[in-house]
Amino acid sequence: MRTGAWKTERMKLRRRHVGLLTAVFCGIGILWGTWELGERLELCGGDGYRMLFLQLPLIDTILLPTMLAMLASRLCDAEVKGGTLKLLCTMEEKGRIFDMKLLMGIGYLCLFWAAQAAATVLFAVGMGFEVSLIPAHMLCFAAEILFPSAAVLILQVVLSFFFENQIIPLAAGLVGSFIGLFAWFFPGNPLRAAFPWGYYSLLGFIGYDWDPATRITHFYDMPFDLAMAAVLLLATVAGYAAGKYFFVRKEL
Amino acid sequence: MNYVIETDALSKRYRDSETVDRVSLRIRPGCVYGFLGPNGAGKSTTMKMLLGLVKPTGGRILLFGKEMNGKNRLQLLKRTGSLIESPSCYGHLTGRENLEIVQTLKGIPEKEIDEALDIVRLTGQQNKKVAEYSLGMKQRLGLAAALLGRPALLLLDEPTNGLDPAGIQEMRELISSLPERFHMTVMVSSHLLSEMDQMAEDVGIIHHGRLICQGSLKKLHERFRGNVRLRTLHQATAARMLDELAVSYRTEGTDLVLPERPKEELAGLVAALAAGGAGIVGVEAKEKSLEDIFLSLTGKQVSL
Repeated sequence: MRTGAWKTERMKLRRRHVGLLTAVFCGIGILWGTWELGERLELCGGDGYRMLFLQLPLIDTILLPTMLAMLASRLCDAEVKGGTLKLLCTMEEKGRIFDMKLLMGIGYLCLFWAAQAAATVLFAVGMGFEVSLIPAHMLCFAAEILFPSAAVLILQVVLSFFFENQIIPLAAGLVGSFIGLFAWFFPGNPLRAAFPWGYYSLLGFIGYDWDPATRITHFYDMPFDLAMAAVLLLATVAGYAAGKYFFVRKEL
Repeated sequence: MNYVIETDALSKRYRDSETVDRVSLRIRPGCVYGFLGPNGAGKSTTMKMLLGLVKPTGGRILLFGKEMNGKNRLQLLKRTGSLIESPSCYGHLTGRENLEIVQTLKGIPEKEIDEALDIVRLTGQQNKKVAEYSLGMKQRLGLAAALLGRPALLLLDEPTNGLDPAGIQEMRELISSLPERFHMTVMVSSHLLSEMDQMAEDVGIIHHGRLICQGSLKKLHERFRGNVRLRTLHQATAARMLDELAVSYRTEGTDLVLPERPKEELAGLVAALAAGGAGIVGVEAKEKSLEDIFLSLTGKQVSL
């Protein structure tokens, strides 16, 4: 039955262009992040990996909240518009429907991250980054992108299920992009931890010094904030439990 | 007797109003059970509770003789098909793709999709996107989804809503044929009392959340018998003769209204009145419609 539930989720996504949506946002992120890469590489001593591990999360902070809002809406609005939950819930557990939507969304999110990671490595090989990849950086990059995105996805799935008018969840996504972006510019502000979008910057692990005279940028490692990651994970688990609880309790 | 659906004091309370108030349904296997009531009477809520979509605030539900609870709900519903309110479908998928989803979830062979499409006569439109379907076609697709897996019990909530007259007739014929063709028990709700006369064998009438009457439609018609209206040239003579024959009647203008009686008895009575010089000019036998019965039970006009 579990296989059937997963299979039907995939069947429901026919003609929803969810893959295209993910590919477009991912492509924009990669293009944006690698724009004039050659010129910038020269100004950072060939430290391309660190440069991209700083650039890409910043760009993703702008793109991902909107993409996740659209993704969650694509996953859930067919059920809301088609009134299909009252049929589905006679054949499968309501909680499982919620889980399958999340799993499907996380699947696309992982593809998004994997494509960015692969693009980073490909650019490194193609352009010959002088400083080699530190494997731990890739793990931190995964955590920095995937952890906050998972939390945002849960929020967006709940909103998409609870609001028939999908403008509201989409607006939440746009607001999230702004909150996330502002969080990068207020590094000392504790309020960043109050919003899931703020964690893209909170979990950043690359810092930089820019010399205006030489225009040279020096990137350096910052410790990955495990405490903040733990807070986010706990909040995500709590958000998941609360979202699922309200979804299951909602009468059809 | 083993009932397919049995409820005991099933209730649902929303804030201050008792939407469903201690409803005790008894639905026999292999019959079409008409669940009647005006809009807002509690029909949909009751059916949703039977499917576990709405949590009752009181009472219990037995499906196929087993008490339904959170643990066995899906197991019991495996033998059930449903169409609640508007049809549930994905507009961006074709009719067939919609049914494939239900087929996968029910874990039944794919060939059943062809059979279901054939039953509801949607084979020709199966590859068209549902967003392009008319409401009638969506309703038929919803019924096809409910029929997948040949369930032993079918719950249909206002299945003729939005259909044109031809579609309504087609749907009624299809529903009526299901018990005989597929040995199904069908519970069908409607606010259209007249259509139950054409479809159902048993009926339950719900009003303001309360089940005010339940039983076979035939017995209901017997209980709420119709009347015979006599128009005579000499009403006083006719009245005197009826008194002598100990036949109860009431006077309505120029007519004498008698309770409905067997045809042979009526023929004899009319002959006797004519022979006695009452001057019979008209005899009208009127059977009580379900609307009349509803009015007798509730004292209120229902929406038709």
